[in-house]
Amino acid sequence: MNTMHVAAIGESLPSELRDLLNSPEGPAFEQALDVVVRQREQHMFRALGQLARDLHDAVRRLGSDLAQEGFPGSVADARQYLQDALEMSANAAHRTLDFAERMRPQAESLTINAAEMLKWAQGNDPAAVLARESVMFADSCREGLADMVVAQSWQDLTGQRIKKVDGFIGSVQTTLLELVRLTGALAGSEMPASVAKVSSQEEADRLLSEFGF
Amino acid sequence: MKILVVDDFSTMRRIVRNLLVELGFSNPLIQEADDGESAIAMLRGQPFDLVVTDWNMPNMTGIDLLRAIRAEASLKGMPVLMVTAENNRDQIIAAAQAGVNGYIVKPFTADTLKEKLTKIFERIAASGAAA
Repeated sequence: MNTMHVAAIGESLPSELRDLLNSPEGPAFEQALDVVVRQREQHMFRALGQLARDLHDAVRRLGSDLAQEGFPGSVADARQYLQDALEMSANAAHRTLDFAERMRPQAESLTINAAEMLKWAQGNDPAAVLARESVMFADSCREGLADMVVAQSWQDLTGQRIKKVDGFIGSVQTTLLELVRLTGALAGSEMPASVAKVSSQEEADRLLSEFGF
Repeated sequence: MKILVVDDFSTMRRIVRNLLVELGFSNPLIQEADDGESAIAMLRGQPFDLVVTDWNMPNMTGIDLLRAIRAEASLKGMPVLMVTAENNRDQIIAAAQAGVNGYIVKPFTADTLKEKLTKIFERIAASGAAA
């Protein structure tokens, strides 16, 4: 890499430097070299400054876009909606499980009572027919209730996905915050004291607002 | 038979409990933990006969719980049934290598749970008879 670098400089070496290279004047050569280096540095810093400003503007636009989108109004709101959905679905599933738990003992006692009845009512006795039907009904109820209970596992499956999306939004939020912090520093803004460590939503919001989000 | 049901979702713990009761296990003997960490603490504190655990949980996952159980002298023989939405090959292999006794992919039916539990207890009975 060094060789390539030297070769590249050799080709584009200003003529005053090339002359000085062959002259015995050491200090003059160094001075000329400094001038060239400084010129190149200034180009680079100007380009970097422009890049930092563009980046800062882009992040600022992103921040205001996020705030103006309306619904969901902010990342925090979006995460809250997901939490609400998770909670509501859990409550709904628990309610269904309540029904199943309430009905199962009733089905069980119907089976027991029908079996008792079958001890003295037999054959085509209407009581025996009803008792046998009751046993069948109670059995299919228990089976159906068990299926209904298992079907509630949708809450766990959808809930896990909601948690994953929430985690993803959380990491986007953190990355966005890092970007804001970085562009703030690049644009020469004074780093707020709160930047050092962001651990809560409130701190995050405060930091974002300090950068105009 | 004392059973520990481990899942971070309260609905899932309740579903598994319901199915176990439906299969004839005693409701008061079923206990619950919401992650691997609290499960291992409970397992150290009192005797259990079976652990039914989820995979994805905060703090300590189901696979880590399984490994912790197998690594502990007093717990290593504990039957562990994994009930999880994780159905990729590598995870099933990892569970098998860690010494899982049964693996059920969610969503499952009461029949699947019954079949896996029966298999686990048959094997335990067979190894107990052999010993």
